[in-house]
Amino acid sequence: MKVDICECVEEMRLSFIRPISCCAVSSPATSLKPQTPLFLRPPTFKTTISDLKKWHLWAKSLASSVGSTFLELDNGPDSDLLLRELNWLVEDAVETPKLFLQQPHKDYHDNSSVSIRASLEDLYMLWKQRVEERRPFQYVVGCEHWRDLVLSVQEGVLIPRPETELIVDLVDDAIKENEELREGLWADLGTGSGALAIGIARILGTSGRVVATDLSPVATAVASYNVQRYDLEEKVYVKQGSWFEPLRDDEGEFVGLVSNPPYIPSKDIDGLQAEVGRHEPRLALDGGASGVNDLIHLCDGAVSLLKPGGFFAFETNGDEQSKSLVHYIETKKQGSFSKVKMVPDFAGIQRFITGFRGR
Amino acid sequence: MVRSVFKSFLYLPKTITNISILTHPISIPSTYPTPRIYRPVVKKIQQIGSLFSVPVGELGSLFSAKYSINASSNGNGSVDTGLGGRDYLLMSDEELMRQCEMSTFKASGPGGQHRNKRESAVRLKHNPTGIVAQAVEDRSQHMNRASALSRLRVLLALKVRNNIDLDTYTPPQELLQILPAKSTIRVSKCGPQIGPNNPKFALGMQALLDLLFAVEGSVSDAAKKLGLSTGALSRLLLSDDNLRMAVNEFRKSKGIKPLK
Repeated sequence: MKVDICECVEEMRLSFIRPISCCAVSSPATSLKPQTPLFLRPPTFKTTISDLKKWHLWAKSLASSVGSTFLELDNGPDSDLLLRELNWLVEDAVETPKLFLQQPHKDYHDNSSVSIRASLEDLYMLWKQRVEERRPFQYVVGCEHWRDLVLSVQEGVLIPRPETELIVDLVDDAIKENEELREGLWADLGTGSGALAIGIARILGTSGRVVATDLSPVATAVASYNVQRYDLEEKVYVKQGSWFEPLRDDEGEFVGLVSNPPYIPSKDIDGLQAEVGRHEPRLALDGGASGVNDLIHLCDGAVSLLKPGGFFAFETNGDEQSKSLVHYIETKKQGSFSKVKMVPDFAGIQRFITGFRGR
Repeated sequence: MVRSVFKSFLYLPKTITNISILTHPISIPSTYPTPRIYRPVVKKIQQIGSLFSVPVGELGSLFSAKYSINASSNGNGSVDTGLGGRDYLLMSDEELMRQCEMSTFKASGPGGQHRNKRESAVRLKHNPTGIVAQAVEDRSQHMNRASALSRLRVLLALKVRNNIDLDTYTPPQELLQILPAKSTIRVSKCGPQIGPNNPKFALGMQALLDLLFAVEGSVSDAAKKLGLSTGALSRLLLSDDNLRMAVNEFRKSKGIKPLK
């Protein structure tokens, strides 16, 4: 057992120092220069239709060979999902993906040229990493589609989840009820890729601002890059530091606070799907023994951070955690908050807690 | 637009609390108008399902769970309960979404940070008709919601019929817009012919199917009403896979040979 853990840690370490090979000029994940997602790189590599087809065929058969092995092993992706991802990889890597994907299959001797955004050699390697090392698809292509955004991600930064998309809508609802919130100062703590901060900044009014914090320098670098890509430097300030620390000067000034903090109980980390447990940063996942350490810290800090009437929304591990947090707020923070409630995600799990700072 | 699709869902607390994969029969709340619904057998619906670029296996389960509507069939495969379905297609995305229940696909497991599956599939169930549309192929749940909604519009056009009085029939504007320019009843203010990729096509397609159903599937009779030759209308009917399959299914039920 002990050996297993060591191996796992070693593997994690390796996956972090391995050159991030979807980049033409590879750089280690600790570099503060964020990587350009595959789809944004210039299509400077040339290959032939015939060679690209060979790669595609190989990649398809590798995906098919997986069957439901990963699904049974750790609830990982099955062949269908991998094949869908392969299509997305083609979309991101090939300059004219539709032309390529729609071409009749007989043209295996087509020597006409096609432009791609990574070398063919890299494409072989990337897909091998995806399937054999279970490297998350989003790290392979360097981006994740989230709401109507395409966010850059890389090793060291949590890949934003579909569930979290809902928080922006919860904020939107709160804003519609109270115009004061639209023009005020918001905080996104543990911002990761900057997803929530960017999503919220886009629905705020002209004077609305978001401060996004993260302890990880890789995360703040990636978040800043994403903020830039969406032209939001005026609206979103990215600061490095632990939770509330970078906000000390503006305590009591915030009209809103959101966070998707680490909430997985430590004992569950080892059993996670390989894509998550082996490749995503533990810092963004592990919420301590019962998973609520950081959530409790957030509830405590929200009291002094938020203005009266200010709104908060946190993502949690689901039903039980949400219940216990609502209970915590109602008993330990009595009188500090109002309208505290749980909100389910689209799978029906009580995924979020929301509420307002008492007036 | 995409945003508003998502938003409108959230206005309905009811839809959020009702999330579940629907396995039980659906009863229509009395506040909804009861539409007239054409009910092909499930096996055939799966054929239509395969038109979408989604694995057929997944669609199979989707398409089999629907049409459990408490209305009586009149024997020829359509359910006549009065009101037409044109109203649904005229609704804004937000209004239509308000009539829908949304759920994500595989609700198993803890989700959230535990999971990396790019599993952003979305399933919409239109409560008044029980029609279900889903989308799985887009990369974000947000986009899948929008795709599912536009797919729902197509399904509503294909499945929900409006009553037509043939004696007083004049084709509505939305139908004229999808007709080829050579139609003698088409006036210049209709603009250029609208094709299947235009969002307005669904409304025209619905009106065209209404007419075809009213004339018992006879292409020549419908063509007369539209100022087209039988050949020209046939070509229009065959130009879109959804339309072709819906027409041929109906013709088959009437014992008429399919269009080819």
